[in-house]
Amino acid sequence: MKQLTRRSFLKASSAGLGGTVLGGCSEGFDWATYFQDRFEEMSPEEVQKTLKRLEKYYSNKYKTKITVKGTPSKENTVFGYALDLSRCVGCRRCVYACVDENNISRDVQIHYIRVLKMKDGDMNLEESDHYYNPDKVPEDDSYYMPVQCQQCDNPPCVKVCPVKATWKDPDGVVVVDYNRCIGCRDCMASCPYRARKFNWREPEIPEDKLNTETHYLGNRPRYRGVVEKCHFCLQRTREGRYPACVEICPAGARKFGNLLDPESEIRLVLENFRTFRLKEELNTQPKFFYFFSLG
Amino acid sequence: MTEQTAQVGELRYFLGNLFSVLFKGGRLYYAWLAGLSCLLVVGFISFIPQVRDGLAITNMREQVSWGFYISNFCFLVGVAAAAVLLVIPAYIYHFKAIKKIVAFGELLAITAVIMAITFVMVDTGRPDRFWHAFPILGSLNLPRSILGWDIVVLNGYLIINLIAVTYMATTTYFGKEPNKRLIMPLILLSIPWAIMLHSVTAFVFNGLAARPFWNASILAPRFLASAFCAGPSLMILVFQILRKVTKFEIRDSAIFKLAEIISYAMAINLFLLVAEVYKEYYSDTHHFAPMIYLFFGLHEHNNLVPWIWSAMVFNVIGFLLFLIPKTRKNFVTLNIGCVLLFVGIWIEKGMGLVIPGFIPDPLGEIYEYMPSQNEVLVAIGIYAFGAILYTMLARVLIAIDTGILRYRSAPPLVIDYDDGVVAQDIMSKGVLTVTPEATIDDIRSILVGNRISGVPVVDGENKIVGVVSETDMVFSLMHQDLELYEKFKSVMVPRERQRGGKLGKTAAEIMSSPAITARENTPLMELTEIITSRKISRIVIVDSQEHPVGVVSQIDIVKSQGLSPAPMQPEINYTI
Repeated sequence: MKQLTRRSFLKASSAGLGGTVLGGCSEGFDWATYFQDRFEEMSPEEVQKTLKRLEKYYSNKYKTKITVKGTPSKENTVFGYALDLSRCVGCRRCVYACVDENNISRDVQIHYIRVLKMKDGDMNLEESDHYYNPDKVPEDDSYYMPVQCQQCDNPPCVKVCPVKATWKDPDGVVVVDYNRCIGCRDCMASCPYRARKFNWREPEIPEDKLNTETHYLGNRPRYRGVVEKCHFCLQRTREGRYPACVEICPAGARKFGNLLDPESEIRLVLENFRTFRLKEELNTQPKFFYFFSLG
Repeated sequence: MTEQTAQVGELRYFLGNLFSVLFKGGRLYYAWLAGLSCLLVVGFISFIPQVRDGLAITNMREQVSWGFYISNFCFLVGVAAAAVLLVIPAYIYHFKAIKKIVAFGELLAITAVIMAITFVMVDTGRPDRFWHAFPILGSLNLPRSILGWDIVVLNGYLIINLIAVTYMATTTYFGKEPNKRLIMPLILLSIPWAIMLHSVTAFVFNGLAARPFWNASILAPRFLASAFCAGPSLMILVFQILRKVTKFEIRDSAIFKLAEIISYAMAINLFLLVAEVYKEYYSDTHHFAPMIYLFFGLHEHNNLVPWIWSAMVFNVIGFLLFLIPKTRKNFVTLNIGCVLLFVGIWIEKGMGLVIPGFIPDPLGEIYEYMPSQNEVLVAIGIYAFGAILYTMLARVLIAIDTGILRYRSAPPLVIDYDDGVVAQDIMSKGVLTVTPEATIDDIRSILVGNRISGVPVVDGENKIVGVVSETDMVFSLMHQDLELYEKFKSVMVPRERQRGGKLGKTAAEIMSSPAITARENTPLMELTEIITSRKISRIVIVDSQEHPVGVVSQIDIVKSQGLSPAPMQPEINYTI
C-alpha cells in the first residue's frame, strides 16, 4: 500500500514537473528515470514498461536497436566460480573479452577483472604487479592471480549502500541498479577486492563494439556517475551460457556453474581440489574459489 | 482587510530593515563580502567542468575513490561540534558568560553542516538523484547503511539547530519571552545529537573491514576529541572578530573557558593518536602500511609526508600554547594556538584520515592522490559560501539582539545582559599602585597610611605586573630567620600560591605575579568564584589595557549584598 501511494505521488509529480521542464529540453533525455522504482521492487508490468522505455532510450542514443532483458534468477541456482591459478598464464584475454561483452567504458578504461602478477611463493598483494607488460607470458618465477567481483555471500558493499541501489539477487549475484545509484562510492570504499568501478565520465563505447543484447542488471550501457561491477555476465548465464571470461580463457583456467547442482563443473572442482578464497578472514564468504589443479 | 494590509506593511518594514542589515555596512564589510563573492564565483566556475564532464576532472580514481571533498566533509562535521561545546557549559553548568554567545555557536554549526552537505553533493556522481536518500520518498537503506544513518543524523542536527536559533531570534524580534519548556528540550537534545553526529560519521569509515587504516575502534573517540579542538578554535577567532567589528559584547572569561576545554580535548586527542600509532607500529602487520605511507612514505611514494608532519608540529605547539595558562590567557599566543590547531586538525582529520585509507588499495596498488586544481577551487568556493552565510546570519542575529531589527509594536528592547551587579558597581576606585622598584618601607607606609591590605604593582606603562599583599610583607620581613619563614609559609600560604611569599627587598621581588585580575564588567558571581577558588582576599579590576582601575575585596562583596538587618526581637513576646 505504501508502495502504491509513493508511486502514484511520483507519477503525479512527474507529470507536472516533466511537463513543465521537458518542453525546453533535448529529446534524448530520459526523464522517467527519476521516477522509476528500484528494479527489485517493481511489479512484472512495471518491469516490462521500464525495459521498453530503456530500449527506446538506448536505441535512440546509440542509433541501433538494443534489447534490454529483465530475466530473473533461475530457481535452485546459486552461481559459483573457480579459478585455476596453476593454469592462468596472465594473458589478460579475459579482461578485454569482459570489456567487449559488457559494454564497459573504454575511456576512462574500466576493467572488471584485474590480473595480478605474483612472485612465486608469495601471496602478499602489496608485492603484486598490476602493470606487467613483457613480450611473452607466462614469465619465470611468477604466477598470475586474476581478481574480479567475488560475489560475496556476505557482501559489505550491499549493506553500506545508502539508497538500496545494490543487492544480492537470488542466484547469488550482487547487482547494481544503475538508475538508482547516486554515485556516493561508499561501496567502492567497502570492497576488499576492488571489484566496484565508477564511471568518472560518460562511458565511451565504440559504435561497432556495442553489444546490443543486454540485461537491466547486467551489461546495458551505464550512465556517467554511477557504480558498476562484474555480475557473472548475467545476460548470458541466466540464459544458460558461460560468462565471457570463461569462454575466452585459452588456458581453461576458469570454471563456472551452479553450486546447487551436484553435476555442475563448479561442484566437480570443489569436490576434487583444495580451494581457497581471497581474504577469507574478512568473512565476506566469496562464491569465487581459487585452486591449483597442477602440481 | 485592514489587518492584512497591516501585516503586509509589517512584512515590508521587516524586509526593508533586513535588507539594510545585510547589505549596508562599512567599507571593510563591503570589501569582505566582495572578496568572498569573488572566491565563490571562482569556485562555481571551477565546478562547471565537473558538471559537464563528470568527476573525471578530479584526481580521484578507482584506487583512491574519495578525496579532497570527503576530507573536507569529515573536517566540517567536526567543526559543527562547536555549538554543543558552548551549550554544555552554558546550560548544564549555567555559565552565564557563555550563554549569551551560544546562538553564535549554533550558527556556526548550521553553517558547517550546510558546507559539509555541499561537499557531499559535489562529490556524488549523481547529485540529481539526491532524493533517493530521502526517507519514505526515496529508498533510504535503514537500518543497515551507516551512510544512510549519517544522512539522517546530519540533517537532524541541522534542523535542531535551525529551529533553536530561529525560535530564539523570532521571540526576541517580537519582544516575547521564549517558552523555556519548548526550547530547553531541543537545546539539551542537541548535545547527545552532536556526539551522535560525530560517532556516526566516524562509523561510516570505521565499519569498513576492507580498509585497515579506518577499521580501528579508536576512530570515533578520536573524531570527537579532535572535533572539540578545531571547532572551538575557530569560534574563539570568530568571537574576537565579532566583538571588534560589532557592538556585541563577548567577555574574555567566555573565551578563556573555551580555551580551557580545548586544552583538555587536545590532550585526549594526542593521547588517542599515540595509542593508535603504537598499536600499528608495535604489531607491525601489513595493516601498518597505510600509516607508514602517511608518516614516512611507502615504496618511495610520499606525497602526504610533509603534510602530516606539519600537522603534528602544529598540533603539538598548539596544544602547548593551550596547556600553559600564561599563553592561553594571552590573546596573541591564544590566537596563534587557535590557528595552529585549526590547520593541524584540518590536515590530520581531513586528507590525513581519508587518503591513507585507500593507500595501498585492497589489491596492493599505490596511487598517489593530490587534489586537482578544480577540486581545490571548488572547495575554496564552498568555504567562501560558508563565510558569506555565517556573516549574514550573524549580522541578522546581532541586529535582533541589539534591537536594530525589531517588530514595531514590540515592547522596547531591554538590553538585559542579566549580569546583575558587576565589578564596576562595587569596586573601590582610585586604586593606589607602586612601581616594581618600590622598597618594603615605601609599601608599608602606603598600606598602613591608607589602611589597605594590598597594592598592585605596575610597570612604566601603568600595566599591572603583580600584587603585594600583607602576607607578602610579613614574609619579606622574616628574612633574618629562615627557619621561621619556612614554617610560617607552609602554614599560611595555600599550596597553590607557594610561589608567592618570597624573600626580598623591593616590590618586584616580593610581589605575587602574575596578578589575579578581572575586567570591569565581570559579574559578581564570577568574582566570588575567583576569590574563593584562588584563595585570595582581593581582586584587582583592570581595563582592556590591563591598567588597574579598582579593587574588589572580600568585604566589598559582602557589602554589595545589602543585607537587611535581622529584626530585633522583643524581650517578652506576650499579648493579652
